Amino acid sequence: MDVLDLARTQFAVTGSLHFLFVVLTLGLAPLVAIMQTVGTFRGRPDMMRMARFWGQIYVINYALGIATGLVMEFQFGLSWSGLSHYAGDVFGAPLAIETLGAFFLESTFLGLWIFGWHRLSPRLHLACIWIVTLTAYASAFWIMVANAFLQNPAGAADRGDHLELVDPGALLANPMLVMALPHVIGASLLTGGFVVMGASAYRLFRRTSEQRFFTASLRFGVVVAAVGAVVTVAFGFAQFGPVGEFQPGKFDDAPLAGAGLGFMIMIGELLQLFVLFFLLPVIHWLPRWRWVHPLVMLATPLPFLAAILGWLAREVGRQPWLIYGKLTVADAMSPGLTSGMVTTSLIAFTAVLGLLAVTDYILIARTVRRGPAAVSLGAAPTGPDPAPERAAALSL
Amino acid sequence: MDILWFGVFAVLLLGYFALEGFDIGLGMLLPVLGRTQEGRDRVVAAMAPYVLANEVWLVAVAGVLFGAYPRAEGEVLFGLYPLVVSLLVSWIVRDAGLWFRRRLDGRAWRAGWDGAICLGSFGLAFSWGAALVALASGMSITPLGLAGGVAVAAALAFHGWTFVSWRLPGRVTGARRSGTALLVSACVAAAPAAALLAGAAPWLLGHTAPTDTLNVLSLMILPFAPVMIGGQVWVWRTFGPGRAPERTPSFF
Repeated sequence: MDVLDLARTQFAVTGSLHFLFVVLTLGLAPLVAIMQTVGTFRGRPDMMRMARFWGQIYVINYALGIATGLVMEFQFGLSWSGLSHYAGDVFGAPLAIETLGAFFLESTFLGLWIFGWHRLSPRLHLACIWIVTLTAYASAFWIMVANAFLQNPAGAADRGDHLELVDPGALLANPMLVMALPHVIGASLLTGGFVVMGASAYRLFRRTSEQRFFTASLRFGVVVAAVGAVVTVAFGFAQFGPVGEFQPGKFDDAPLAGAGLGFMIMIGELLQLFVLFFLLPVIHWLPRWRWVHPLVMLATPLPFLAAILGWLAREVGRQPWLIYGKLTVADAMSPGLTSGMVTTSLIAFTAVLGLLAVTDYILIARTVRRGPAAVSLGAAPTGPDPAPERAAALSL
Repeated sequence: MDILWFGVFAVLLLGYFALEGFDIGLGMLLPVLGRTQEGRDRVVAAMAPYVLANEVWLVAVAGVLFGAYPRAEGEVLFGLYPLVVSLLVSWIVRDAGLWFRRRLDGRAWRAGWDGAICLGSFGLAFSWGAALVALASGMSITPLGLAGGVAVAAALAFHGWTFVSWRLPGRVTGARRSGTALLVSACVAAAPAAALLAGAAPWLLGHTAPTDTLNVLSLMILPFAPVMIGGQVWVWRTFGPGRAPERTPSFF
């Protein structure tokens, strides 16, 4: 492999790893927020337990989202400095807005949410998870704005050696964005729904404790996955219009992109059929139908696989362009980058992130196996209480 | 407008060292301040609620570098390639230690991740020291960077020591420190970056993005500034010292 292939491999590996965790973060955050909202306003302790259990899974998953995201953010400067040199005046803006206007808030309020159980008032604490959810979706929006610009450089004018931002509105109304963003959000909900379903099916199949808890969770997961499946598939097909217009031949010229697209569509439609025409109609009996549970468990990794295939189709199909029609990947590579440099960092990032990713999934699986009783997120205070009046306020 | 964004960049970079500095410092001091598992748990719990709100300042620094100084971004990050890679790997290892240490029972598991926190924190401090020296000497990575690493590590360790003596007075270091002392140690932690920034200001200003780009950034980001500041203040108000001893095990 030459240095360009290595740098591309690094981006593909770290980007795919990042999205595996991001897709679940986006899928679980609103579910946890909804559970906690019902728990708070209806005074439902069972919903609070659900918010804590699925919240702990969300938080464990989040750790790798951060770790892989850091590499993504800095990688542009490490391997692709030609991109910021040529298009930084346009492409840099959405990334800067994402870090400051979205992720900065997301991280701050996530800290308040994780460590604020039993410290903040219930409503303020609830506000934290909603701010985290909203800013996570704002992040997704700005990242997709940046990515759509690479697919179709709208709103920018060529000034010879660099691009200039001339129409910010066109950047935000990019046809390569408006159909792709709901597709990504739908896929996230589909993934979140499937993880909740898969974990619940496992617990129900094994006939472990907490049958009521996982019966409710399974049904919730089915509804979310159904919504996600409809949105994903609808906005998936809706993208063929803009793609055909701005990147004709995208999936014909690059075999990997075409294969990615084909398998993604196959998985997407299969999951949609499975959820809409099988799981959803029998949602009432589903928790007791043990023979279905292994099928649900087996299907749980599929949304993740489809998400990676979808990104392969979108990104590989744009080759050799980094910015479609404007800047090639080869021209965007940092001048002076050597194989030795990329090989070293590729091994370091892949080894560390790969190991941590496996650890993370083991920890999530273990959280499911141990069940809601063992969750440490938001555990009630124990031991002698030095401030009785505070405890009275908390027992609300 | 370019002065405003230089101000934003400076506040974020110095804020990173003033805030995340004590997390890195405490990470390095973890085996010293916590000789037993319980001792280390106490130190980690002291900084845990702040970490997410602190480390994100560097993410914001990189974001502003990309948005407001796109031509500097590639030059700086690529010029410091090995140091940026070691900074990232160290950061990831440190964070993994924090997130994972309590996810399984067993002393070996937790002690292992405590080692990762310590190792990652040392990596962060030395990567920063070497990077600041390299930036000051025109992007040349030299053995002098090691001296920079020692200096930054010492400054951050002092800041971490002061923080834990403020947050848990008399319970970890045996000392008690006031908020003023914490402010002083924050200045010490941020001083090397401030010196570099003062020297690099003309160069950085010369690499500013055009006004149109800065206008878009201002329009989209400045309205959120009150929430950003409010969130940070809220963290400090919620988790400050002077409360009853913890009755719940910390999540980290």
